Amino acid sequence: MKKFFIKLRICVSIIVTKFMVYLLRLMGRGGTSLPGKIALKICPELFTVLSDRFRIIMITGTNGKTTTSRIVAGMLDKAGIKYVSNKSGANLSSGIATTIVSALSLFGKPLVRTALLETDEAAFRTVAPMLKPELVIVTNFFRDQLDRYGELYTTLNNVREGINGSPDTKLILNADDSLCASLGIGVPNQVIYFGLGDNVYPEEFIKANTDAAFCINCKSRYNYLSSSFGHLGHFQCPSCGYERPEAQIECTQILEYDNISSTIEIKTPSGKITVKLALPGLYNIYNALAGAVIGHVLELDENDLAHVLEGFECGFGRMESLDAEGRNLRLILVKNPTGFNQVLRYLLTQNDDCLMAFIINDKLADGTDISWLWDVDFEILSFMMNKVRKFFVSGIRAEDMAVRLKYAGIPTDRIFIEHDGEKLINKMIESSNEKEALYVLPTYTAMLDIRETLKERFNLREFWE
Amino acid sequence: MYELNICHLYPDLLNLYGDRGNIISITKRCQWRDIEVNLTSISIGDTFRYEDHDIIFMGGGQDYEQAILQDDLMNDKRQGIIEAIESGKVFLAICGGYQLLGKYYRTNTGKEIECIGALNLWTHAGETRLIGNLVFQTDFLKTQNHNGYIVGFENHAGKTYLGEGVKPLGRVIRGFGNNGEDGFEGAVYKNTFCTYSHGSLLPKNPTFADHLIMLALLNKYPDFQGLAPLDDELENLARNSLIKRFTE
Ligand SMILES: [Zn+2]
Repeated sequence: MKKFFIKLRICVSIIVTKFMVYLLRLMGRGGTSLPGKIALKICPELFTVLSDRFRIIMITGTNGKTTTSRIVAGMLDKAGIKYVSNKSGANLSSGIATTIVSALSLFGKPLVRTALLETDEAAFRTVAPMLKPELVIVTNFFRDQLDRYGELYTTLNNVREGINGSPDTKLILNADDSLCASLGIGVPNQVIYFGLGDNVYPEEFIKANTDAAFCINCKSRYNYLSSSFGHLGHFQCPSCGYERPEAQIECTQILEYDNISSTIEIKTPSGKITVKLALPGLYNIYNALAGAVIGHVLELDENDLAHVLEGFECGFGRMESLDAEGRNLRLILVKNPTGFNQVLRYLLTQNDDCLMAFIINDKLADGTDISWLWDVDFEILSFMMNKVRKFFVSGIRAEDMAVRLKYAGIPTDRIFIEHDGEKLINKMIESSNEKEALYVLPTYTAMLDIRETLKERFNLREFWE
Repeated sequence: MYELNICHLYPDLLNLYGDRGNIISITKRCQWRDIEVNLTSISIGDTFRYEDHDIIFMGGGQDYEQAILQDDLMNDKRQGIIEAIESGKVFLAICGGYQLLGKYYRTNTGKEIECIGALNLWTHAGETRLIGNLVFQTDFLKTQNHNGYIVGFENHAGKTYLGEGVKPLGRVIRGFGNNGEDGFEGAVYKNTFCTYSHGSLLPKNPTFADHLIMLALLNKYPDFQGLAPLDDELENLARNSLIKRFTE
């Protein structure tokens, strides 16, 4: 009898969810989380019941979830595997439920067999043990939206708990991140590590403001043989011996590295490949490596693997480019100090004159505490003062951002506050010439808003399409 | 020319929530007035001589990192910190740093972790984290042109209680404050200021930053006449917009 009711509830939740998604799209909305939320209300067992109908790949971690997920999608395409995915970054349990249900027929039959799910770290704790993923990628751990999760180590433990509930899952972990790599120690799971080889990107290790300078086992300070960014690198604990594990998929050389791309050599268990990534920044090399692991697991050959990585372009808001009345407008999502610092570093490598806008919101999805802006090195903007004429600040916390720029050494007569998104874009276009690039850096919900504005004026595609 | 020595205690461990913003604020506001600033970072294994510093800053860390520095703090730095505070050095302690200056921290399991004991206050772990925007009113910043309000953000599990001899920093207008019960926020003792308002506290509350700078200069230069005013238009815009948003 109980079984019958569960079945009934599943049917009802599927019908309701599908109907709502349809309705919301009809109204021109994304419809990415509300239907799933209601589906889980009707049928809390949804994930457990549906887990054996899908082969599930989950991607979690602080930075790079969306980009990695899109690279993995490319690998699946190449392997001829049909799948559903939560493309738009609706990565809480509700968004995941919407995605999975949308892959079912009205009678609960899966229309595709594979689900690629970008998953929020806190949601991962409960969702992973229910969905029993075949593969899990953990990208990295950095401080992010601490007001929502409490502490970095709480976030790490959330993912650890999720993994403890999924002993049959194959883990794909970042070897260079001491926090992430520790997830693979002492667990029954099969583990594949990815990372940058020793001294591939030599950089002096910065002592202050790193997220994990001390050994996770014994609290001694790590030695670093080499470092890439943040706390990522070849760490080694002098006391207990915990060190960066050997990586099966490794970037062994960076042959070229500039403002729009990098050419790297990747070592896989079946050989070496050289690929040109059409993505800037060191963080994207890590994302590419994580994606390459999936390609390897799917048994794609070297050529196919390289082909997918080279053909990959930027995803929703991670770095979008559009023509705004003759000016190149680039939209880059910012959400935490590490990511923001990487974006600023990327901007430093740009040659064009430009105008910049920072749109800072403090809604739940952005993190209600915006004090992290003080951990971002805006001070490096002083190196490009001859290239940037104007700095615009916008969003709910525009004034906070203005203060941050002032204390980073930007003259106040170059800082302009404009709360309204449409006026902001107008002002940027009016006060620039066609040779100048427009960089717009919003937080998550600010990105959703500014996309609406840009969609109306310029031809920007819907992100759920 | 005036000169101030600022000490950041455990910057590599107690650096949560943009605590660095407070150091940046004090430094910049001094430099804009041609007051020279020397910044020293003191961490595990370093010697802390309180006489060398005019303003001492201690921020908050995660439980994990606070556990790492426990031995060093209690064995090597404790006496110096107590003497700094007693001698009237300007001391700003935030969140975890605030708790560490007290007598003890009682965990959820009832275990009492001994702290520095420089101030007569103590902290009990709470059931839930007290998180959100915080507005409180101080007396010492209240003037004809300033309502004495400070705006910030709090995020702490501990509930702090003040004993005799320690005064609250202010009265909570919006948020939880020390413990979410008695309506008070922070603590003041001599020239030591403690608060749960973390991160960009001083950048957004420039009069508080200036108050600390002024006290430090008065300590060092008895003939000091007062700070030259600065253009705080942006700071006040930020502060007022938030006070308006959170109190109306
Ligand atoms: Zn160790």
